[in-house]
Amino acid sequence: MPFTILYGDSFVSDGTAKKILLPGNADYFKFVNQTQTPLAGTTCIAGEWYGAKFGAGATAVNDGTRWRKAASNAVLIDTFQTAVASNGFTYVATTPVIEAQNAAAITAITAATPAVVTQAAHGYSNGDIIQFYGTTGMLQISGLNFQISGVTANSYTLVGLAAAGFAAPATAGFTRRISKFLAVDPQFLFITAVSKATQMVVTFSVDPSAYYVVGMKMEFSIPFGLGMTELNSLTGTILSINAATYQMTFDINSTAFTTFVFPVSAQAALTPLFATAAPAGASTKRDPNTFVETGYNFQYQAFKTGQFTPYMVLGGGGAGNATGAIGDVINYIAYKLEN
Amino acid sequence: MSFPTGITNINNFAPELPVQAAEDLLSTPMFNLIHSFGVDLHHAEAYIGKTTRMSRFERLSTDGGQLDGSGIDPASEVPVRTDIDATMEIYAKSIVTNEQVVLYENSKTLTKFTALLGQWLREKEDLLMRDLFSSSVSYINCTGGTNGDQPSNISLNDVNNIETILLNNDARTMLVSIDAENKFSTGPTRDAFIALASTNLTNDLQKVQGVLLKNAYPAQQGLRPEEYCSISRFRFFVSSKGAKTPGISTLGRTVYTIPMYGLEAAAKIEQNSYTAVIGYRPPWVVSSVAQNSQLYAKFAIARAITNQNWISGLNTTTYNPS
Repeated sequence: MPFTILYGDSFVSDGTAKKILLPGNADYFKFVNQTQTPLAGTTCIAGEWYGAKFGAGATAVNDGTRWRKAASNAVLIDTFQTAVASNGFTYVATTPVIEAQNAAAITAITAATPAVVTQAAHGYSNGDIIQFYGTTGMLQISGLNFQISGVTANSYTLVGLAAAGFAAPATAGFTRRISKFLAVDPQFLFITAVSKATQMVVTFSVDPSAYYVVGMKMEFSIPFGLGMTELNSLTGTILSINAATYQMTFDINSTAFTTFVFPVSAQAALTPLFATAAPAGASTKRDPNTFVETGYNFQYQAFKTGQFTPYMVLGGGGAGNATGAIGDVINYIAYKLEN
Repeated sequence: MSFPTGITNINNFAPELPVQAAEDLLSTPMFNLIHSFGVDLHHAEAYIGKTTRMSRFERLSTDGGQLDGSGIDPASEVPVRTDIDATMEIYAKSIVTNEQVVLYENSKTLTKFTALLGQWLREKEDLLMRDLFSSSVSYINCTGGTNGDQPSNISLNDVNNIETILLNNDARTMLVSIDAENKFSTGPTRDAFIALASTNLTNDLQKVQGVLLKNAYPAQQGLRPEEYCSISRFRFFVSSKGAKTPGISTLGRTVYTIPMYGLEAAAKIEQNSYTAVIGYRPPWVVSSVAQNSQLYAKFAIARAITNQNWISGLNTTTYNPS
């Protein structure tokens, strides 16, 4: 039952948790902090993780064997949870809808456009997708996914949420980071706004350019209570995509439609949320002037498994943690049992 | 206090063979396979690419068309063809067996392992189709229930909303009606769409107004064991692997997704020559001293939602938190 080296590389720590993709799964994982190894101090210098095939010896979530230095420069061996709880290894091998982490509390979402969330030490990165639940003041966004940007230590922005017209800001709630890709692509998307125009512009809660390309079709689902019932069940073709504003333009004339209204908070309990759009194929067209063909992008258009890849998260930064201090060079290597 | 009696019994003279095998193996657990039987089956030829295209012509506009005697022809219309593509993917599983297992087990170890791999084929396929439904379809949150959550527990009004959506989009029912018969406590079912639900929802399904549990159908012939009940124009099939997402309701409860659809809403494409490949690698191939052998199973599948207008569904929570 020999091991195969699956993957190996190095990275320079930025002092935060590191997510390492591991195509093909892994059964054993180790890292060495090359920067700290020759230095004196109380820093973590190496770690080992054992997968489920090790049975009773498998590493618990967020744990792992740790090599560190004592003040005397002697090497000590313990586990991550012994000294720095939850800052070891977290391995995710199956498609998660919700990533392996605890729910985190927020303290505010502004009623502004775009909305800004206040959340202490959230640990998220630009581009992450999070899901809200249990929100107070903004009941209508509980259960909705948002891509985040403008990340600071204690806040981030929801480009896809124009909350300026909301009745009130949110004062509490919870978030979980979820997988960027669902199990199957192309996936359905949440709608937060729809314009009335000869070429309708739809705002989504996430950047749609990661999932769709020009020429693809989407079918709209607009539950009653959100206005613009004329759009319900219509299918439109994507004419353009704006990755900065999370918007797509469709070949649907919505000028005469009733106005789309994202529900105010008080409606949320009775309104069948949410407005969504789902993939509906493509119609091939060729522009004789530009020679550009649309609706032929197999990479996006075809139904296929979502782009989930097993991954390992090395715990947050700090002297005793797996990712060490800012600037540390860390080598890692992943193994897989052949049988 | 015990007294020696001189009688030979199992306490002073144990059997030479303390165990014997029962006459048959116990059942291997298997979940209800509900996510494939309602979809269209297509076949992909080998050696001509990994993407299968399914095409549909959209209907022509019915506006205008009257010839008014002016001699001017009505405007012609360019037909629109919608293409649905699906990418073929291959999945595999293997079991490595030491020769001592084959030698010492009672009999036919490899046959038993082959059966396990066969079950894996069916189960994996079912989960892949479930994932298609949960990822690529629009769902409506239930609001008619009384558990105070968003989405709420399921109600008749919620089910009827989905029927309206499907009928408004000209979807066709999948199952024929079951006519009434002169039997007490039974009722007919209408021609129906199908709905796929988690077994965690059975308690709530029983409480939906107008529910007709399976045993109350006038006839039982031909019904699938996975079927649970009929509500309005839908017949519900349940599986312990029905789609669900933990912790995403307003109150942080598990949300269950119920795909509801009619004919030609989704498709499963099987690759010719690769629908179910079961193989054996003999020990002299796997192991240098010929001690380990390997059984494997592989299959290729592509899947797609072929008509979004003919599939919809509900997001729901349970009345009792789960």
